[in-house]
Amino acid sequence: MAVFAVVVGALFAIVGQLWYLQVLEGGRFLDASDKNRIRVRPIAAPRGILFDRHGRPLVDNRPAFTLSLIPRELDRERERRDAVLGRVAALLDIPFRELVDAVERVPPESLMPVRVRRGLSLSDVAKVEEWKLELPGVIVEVEPQRAYPSSRFAAHLLGYVREASDDQLKQGRYRRGDMVGQSGLERVLDEHLRGRDGGERIEVDALGRSIRVMQAAEPNPGAQVVTTIDRRVQETAERAMEGKAGAVVVMDPRSGDVLALVSTPAYEIDRFTGTIDRAAWLRVVQDPDRPLLNRVIQGQYPPGSVFKVVVTAAGLQEGSLAPMDRVHCGGAFTLGDHTFHDWKKEGHGTVDLHRAIVHSCDVFFYQAGLKVGGTTIARYAQAFGLGRATGIDLSGEKIGLIPEPRAGRRGRRAFLAGDVANMAIGQGALLVTPLQVARAMAAVANGGVLWKPRLVQRVERPERGVIWSDPGRVMGHVELSPMVWAVLRQGLWGVVNEGGTGTAARIPGLDVAGKTGTAQTVANSKSEKGQDHAWFAAYAPAPNPEVVVVVFVERGGHGGAAAAPIARQILNAIFFEKVAMAGFTGS
Amino acid sequence: MIGIDRRLLQNVDWPLLLATAGLVAMSATTLSTLNVGRAGGGVALRQLGWAALGVLALLVVASLDYRKLVRAAPAFYLLGLGGLAAVFALGRSVSGARRWIALGPLTVQPSELFKLCFVLMAVWILTSRWAQPPGGSAIVMMLPVAAVPFVLVVKQPDLGTALLLVPVLLALLVGAGIRLKLLGALAAAGLGTLPAAWMVLKDYQRERILVYLDPVRDPLGSAYNVIQAKIAIGSGQLLGKGVAGATQSRLAFLPERHTDFIFAVFAETWGFVGCLVLLTCYGLLFVRGFDIAASSREPVGRLVALGVTGLIAFQVLINVGMVTGLLPVVGIPLPLMSYGGSSMLVSLMGLGLLLSVRMRQFQ
Repeated sequence: MAVFAVVVGALFAIVGQLWYLQVLEGGRFLDASDKNRIRVRPIAAPRGILFDRHGRPLVDNRPAFTLSLIPRELDRERERRDAVLGRVAALLDIPFRELVDAVERVPPESLMPVRVRRGLSLSDVAKVEEWKLELPGVIVEVEPQRAYPSSRFAAHLLGYVREASDDQLKQGRYRRGDMVGQSGLERVLDEHLRGRDGGERIEVDALGRSIRVMQAAEPNPGAQVVTTIDRRVQETAERAMEGKAGAVVVMDPRSGDVLALVSTPAYEIDRFTGTIDRAAWLRVVQDPDRPLLNRVIQGQYPPGSVFKVVVTAAGLQEGSLAPMDRVHCGGAFTLGDHTFHDWKKEGHGTVDLHRAIVHSCDVFFYQAGLKVGGTTIARYAQAFGLGRATGIDLSGEKIGLIPEPRAGRRGRRAFLAGDVANMAIGQGALLVTPLQVARAMAAVANGGVLWKPRLVQRVERPERGVIWSDPGRVMGHVELSPMVWAVLRQGLWGVVNEGGTGTAARIPGLDVAGKTGTAQTVANSKSEKGQDHAWFAAYAPAPNPEVVVVVFVERGGHGGAAAAPIARQILNAIFFEKVAMAGFTGS
Repeated sequence: MIGIDRRLLQNVDWPLLLATAGLVAMSATTLSTLNVGRAGGGVALRQLGWAALGVLALLVVASLDYRKLVRAAPAFYLLGLGGLAAVFALGRSVSGARRWIALGPLTVQPSELFKLCFVLMAVWILTSRWAQPPGGSAIVMMLPVAAVPFVLVVKQPDLGTALLLVPVLLALLVGAGIRLKLLGALAAAGLGTLPAAWMVLKDYQRERILVYLDPVRDPLGSAYNVIQAKIAIGSGQLLGKGVAGATQSRLAFLPERHTDFIFAVFAETWGFVGCLVLLTCYGLLFVRGFDIAASSREPVGRLVALGVTGLIAFQVLINVGMVTGLLPVVGIPLPLMSYGGSSMLVSLMGLGLLLSVRMRQFQ
């Protein structure tokens, strides 16, 4: 029967088709059905937290919203996909091109969400959720993001965290969208802080609703870092420097621990972490006050009279100076046909070495410098760690400059007398960083030990304990006889306590010793604040120093007037504002 | 009239009933694994309810003499046409199609019920005295009888059901002994109207045919169903993924999974082996149906059995063919398996007709 034959034939055709689909091609279709229902949801690992020496966090994480696109779930048809992206662009005010570029950088089959905008506001999130059905392939992820105690807190010390740049991606260590420490400790410790992202494979239904988690890899948070910073000292120093450009370093001379590291003006570290538009970025980069510059390690300035400490040490140790040397200061010193002026026009009268230090007599030191000689001064400057890297765990450190003898007649290299006179009062070609000054002053305070400034005590993981630690490192010794140290320290004590240039740093009940510096700069008529950089380098308590404070104020004027009061404020906070001291002196 | 005497009971076709029971059971189990929309797990129970009602209808139909039913065919036919027409006046619209009429708490699909009326009407024409031997005059009579409901159903729109009438009619014509030359002419005429038919089709219907010819044409639009169904069927492989593993179905990637695409759900869950079992049940049904037709000694019984078997067989073949990607997507339910009261009722009533013929084959 014809009809019967047709029906049976058709049945066999169907069985054949089933054989083809299920048995021959079954594996391929099984794969397709898995892909259908599986979505990958990356879970960003929270970055490790940085703590101060007392366990107070310097930076924390908070959940932030990120807009992401899942290429695989976007419409394959260009027009419809662009319609969705256009809607997103209009909704959140993101340039349309940015979205298209982000999607087209990755393969269209990719399941991994492409992060297109971080730090969405709650209202943005609400908008996306509201339009969810019209926005296939668009999701909002929650990621931990850096949170800071205040907008500019320790900006140079911590550094900012941003998405890996194109250059960094080329190195191959990062994936697109990874958050990477770009400066400061965040950059140096990035490997430790980053942790490993986790992820989930989730089963979704046809509407993209999550049904169950099939496989989950917990994110492995970044390691915790215990720094040497004392948050309270850091905050005090930042407050004291408010409105000024400059730098502060607070260091423990017994260990080289950096308790505070301040560079002002600072940039808004929290704005750098999220999306920053080009205009705002350019504003920061082109700011004449250079907020991105970490003046503590990257600012190179003449040390001014602070350098007299080195000249004194060199002269006494080499025997070319004696404590009893007397010089009459009439306000100027003539060498050949050039007159060198004292900072005090009327002069200091007759001064010995001690009074010359206390009152920072330039005329005395012009002559002392000539007696000691340029080569010897340069050698001692190097011994005190000036003009070379301190080795602090921050990138981009500058090394400063110690002048070398000029090539003179008959090919002999020699210092010119005028250059030596200038160098003796910390002027001329001599350049140092505030951190170098702090380390040199710490050497004075601790009897000659030149520490590598320590910023990080240890890096630890909850499950593995301490994975890295820095026991501290001595990078050199300044070898001076005890008599020389005694004369130096007496002089520095006198600067603050005998009516010297550092009187403004005097604190009753605390023996503060220090040296002021006022460094003339190359004429720069643009500045209305004056031409001189103000320095004050101090330590306390003088008999048994626990802390070195170096204050540098760019174009601040006289060191005694601009920098010393700031040092006083910081020392006062350290020694007399209870809370912090309890823990601090106890160490 | 409803009483069934012992002699009739001896001729009940038990294999046919067994295959039917097996299919209904498979339908209910498959439906119970799906969490379909608002109906929830109740779908399976409702399906069983309809099946029970259907069995009652089957018994009633089987107890009636099919010859009397054929004699009343014009009345049924007009009633059926009335139902089809009523859809346009009273119909409930579901996703753009008006196919259902609410009758109290139930909704019925007149086009389903009409299928049986049509078979009876066609048999009535082909066996009427003035049409003997079946030839040109029968065909001339048949054309308006087929064309009017065809147009009505296409307009609902329910292209699948309308197209189903064509092979059923052909089977009946062949069964009635129409000469091949005439059939050839008819086929040529049919082909001639194809371009016109193309113009009448709605856009989405044309799209479906184009997608059948070229499945990657629009993977997320019209072809979505086909691709998802193929993925579901194929991923079942030899032994199936089991109820829990049938993600395509359970996670709703498969559209119409409880109605027209239920075969894909079954195939994903039970694999190639399960499909063979299912198709064997249908095969058994067809074999018994054609056997009944062949063993009937008079033309009315033979044509009724042939028409009903053809009706069910073509639905099965078209549905499975479409779900497996052999045919374009046309909305035809899988008899006895797909969720749907009208379809279940009509299928079982059709089987009742078969039984009626079988039981009276020696009368």
